[in-house]
Amino acid sequence: MSQTATQPPVLSVEQIHVAYGSTAALHGISFEVHKGETVALIGANGAGKSTTLRAISGLLKLRSGAIRFEGRDIANQPPDKVVAAGIAHCPEERHVWPAMTVEENLNLGAFLCRSRAEREQRIGMAYHRFPRLRERARQLAGTLSGGEQQMLAIARALMSEPSLLMLDEPSLGLSPKMADEVFDVVRAINGHGVTVLLVEQNIYNALDVASRAYVVETGRTRAARPAAALRSDPELLRAYLGG
Amino acid sequence: MPSDSRILLTLLAAAALFPLAVHDPYVLHIAILVLFYVVLASSLNLIVGYVGEFSLGHTAFLGVGAYAAALLAQKAGWPVWATIPAAGALAAVAGGFIGAITLRLKGPYFVIVTLSFAEVLRLVANNWIAVTNGPMGLAGIPQGFLQDKRLFFYAVLAVAAVTLYLCYRFVHSNAGRGAVAVRESRFVAQSIGINPFGSAMLAFVLGAGLAGLAGGFYAHYITFVGPDIFQFSFMASMIIMVLIGGKGTLIGPIIGAAIVTLLEEYLRDMQELRLTLFGLIVMAVVLFLPNGIISLAPKLKRLRPHAPARPVSADRGVL
Repeated sequence: MSQTATQPPVLSVEQIHVAYGSTAALHGISFEVHKGETVALIGANGAGKSTTLRAISGLLKLRSGAIRFEGRDIANQPPDKVVAAGIAHCPEERHVWPAMTVEENLNLGAFLCRSRAEREQRIGMAYHRFPRLRERARQLAGTLSGGEQQMLAIARALMSEPSLLMLDEPSLGLSPKMADEVFDVVRAINGHGVTVLLVEQNIYNALDVASRAYVVETGRTRAARPAAALRSDPELLRAYLGG
Repeated sequence: MPSDSRILLTLLAAAALFPLAVHDPYVLHIAILVLFYVVLASSLNLIVGYVGEFSLGHTAFLGVGAYAAALLAQKAGWPVWATIPAAGALAAVAGGFIGAITLRLKGPYFVIVTLSFAEVLRLVANNWIAVTNGPMGLAGIPQGFLQDKRLFFYAVLAVAAVTLYLCYRFVHSNAGRGAVAVRESRFVAQSIGINPFGSAMLAFVLGAGLAGLAGGFYAHYITFVGPDIFQFSFMASMIIMVLIGGKGTLIGPIIGAAIVTLLEEYLRDMQELRLTLFGLIVMAVVLFLPNGIISLAPKLKRLRPHAPARPVSADRGVL
C-alpha cells in the first residue's frame, strides 16, 4: 500500500454515472486500482458492481465521469479498443461458446492478436495454467462442468494478455470447493503480475483474495478499506451490507 | 472440421464427373441451376447463418453482378472469363457500400432496409433506360467460348467451387469464428475484443461478391438480364434453400439448393399451387426442423459445430 501510493494508479474511475435507458444505475462510482493489486468491489445484489465493469470495458456508455487506464482516458471507447489497451473482462455467468471446442474458445480470446505463432504460444500458456483444459482441448465447451467453464472463461480472458483482469462473479453457481479452486487461480494470476479487479457477492471469499475492497451501495461507492480491516470487523461489514 | 472439407471435395468431384455420364441437355440444365443456386444459397447463408441477420436484399448483389457482366460483355466487349469475376468484384463493392449502412441496424430494421435497397436498384434498372434498356432489359448477351451446355456446367461448377472454398475459409478463419461468437453472444464477443461490425462486414461483402459471381454467370447463361432479377422470387428461393437445408452450416445450403431446385422443376405442373406448397414446406421446417434437414442426420452432427446450441445460461439483456 505504501509503495503504491506514490505511483499513479493503473485504473482510476472518477464519479461515473451510467443509465440503462432512462433508469440511472450508477450515481457516482469512484475507485482506484494500483499495479499488482487485487481489488474487490463488494455489495448487495443490484448495487451496480457488474454495471461498473461493463462501463469500464466500454459495453455501456457513461453519462458523466472519467475512466483512466495507464494514464489514458478510456471512457466511452469501443470495447475492442479497451481490450487492445490491456483490460480483459471476464463476464458474469461464465459465458463460453458452448458449440465451439475449448481450443476454439481460447483462440477467440486472442482475437486481436494477428500472429498465429503468438496465439499458439498463449494457448500453450493457458494449458500450462489450466492443465484440465488441455485434456479437454477438443471437447465442446458446453460439455464442460461449471467449474471448468469458469476456468475456460478466465483462460479466454487471459488470452489477450491483459495487464488488468476484471472478473465478474467468478464463483457464481459453483460448489464451495470449486469456488475455492477458482480463487486459488485468481491468486496465482495475480502472483504473475496481472492486476485484478474482482466483483463478488461471496464477500468472505472476495476479501480473502483481495488486498483492498470498495463497498458499493445503490450505485455509489460508500467506503474503501483494506480487505483485512473489513474481514476482521464484522460490525463494519454489517453496517454497509446489511448483514 | 476436416470432415466438412472431405464432404465438400467429394461433392465437387462427383459433380465434375456428372456431365461425362449424363448427356441429356434438360438434365444438364437442371444440374446447372442446382449449382447456380448452391452459389446463391451459400452466399446468403454467410449473412443469415453466420452474421445472424436476415437479409431480404440479397438479390441486389445478384442483379448488380448480372447487369455488370451483361454491360461489360455487350458495351465493352469483355470476354466471359473476365466479366464474371468483374461482376463479383463490383457486387462486393456494392456490398461494402450497402453493408456499411445496413449492418448498423438490427432485426426487423435490417430486414426492411436491405429489402428497400434491392427495390431501389430494381427501380433504377427499370428507369435508367440509357444504360439498362429499362424494362426491355439487355438481351443477346454474348456467351463467348461457352457454346455448349457442358461448358456452362463446368463454368458454374468452377464458380461453385470458388464459392465453397471461400465460405470454408471464412467459416474456419478467426473472422468467421468471430462472427459466430457475435451471433451466439454479442457482448461476450465484444468483451474479448471482437468488433461485431467488422466481422459482419467481412461476411456481408463476401456474400455480396459471391452473389455477384452467380449473377454474372446467370447473365451469360440466360443471355438476358432485366429488372425482374431484383424481384422477390429469387430472394424467396434463396431463403427457402438456406432454411430447408440448414442455416449456419456449409453443407446445409447445398442440400437446400438441390432439393428446392428439383422441387421447383417437378412441381411445375401445379403452377400457382407450387408456391403454396413451398410455403407449407417452409412452415413445417421452421416448426419441426429449425436447424434444417442437415440436423436430421445424427451422424452428420459433428459437421455443424456452429449450429446454434442452447446457451449455457440465460441471456440477461445487456450483460
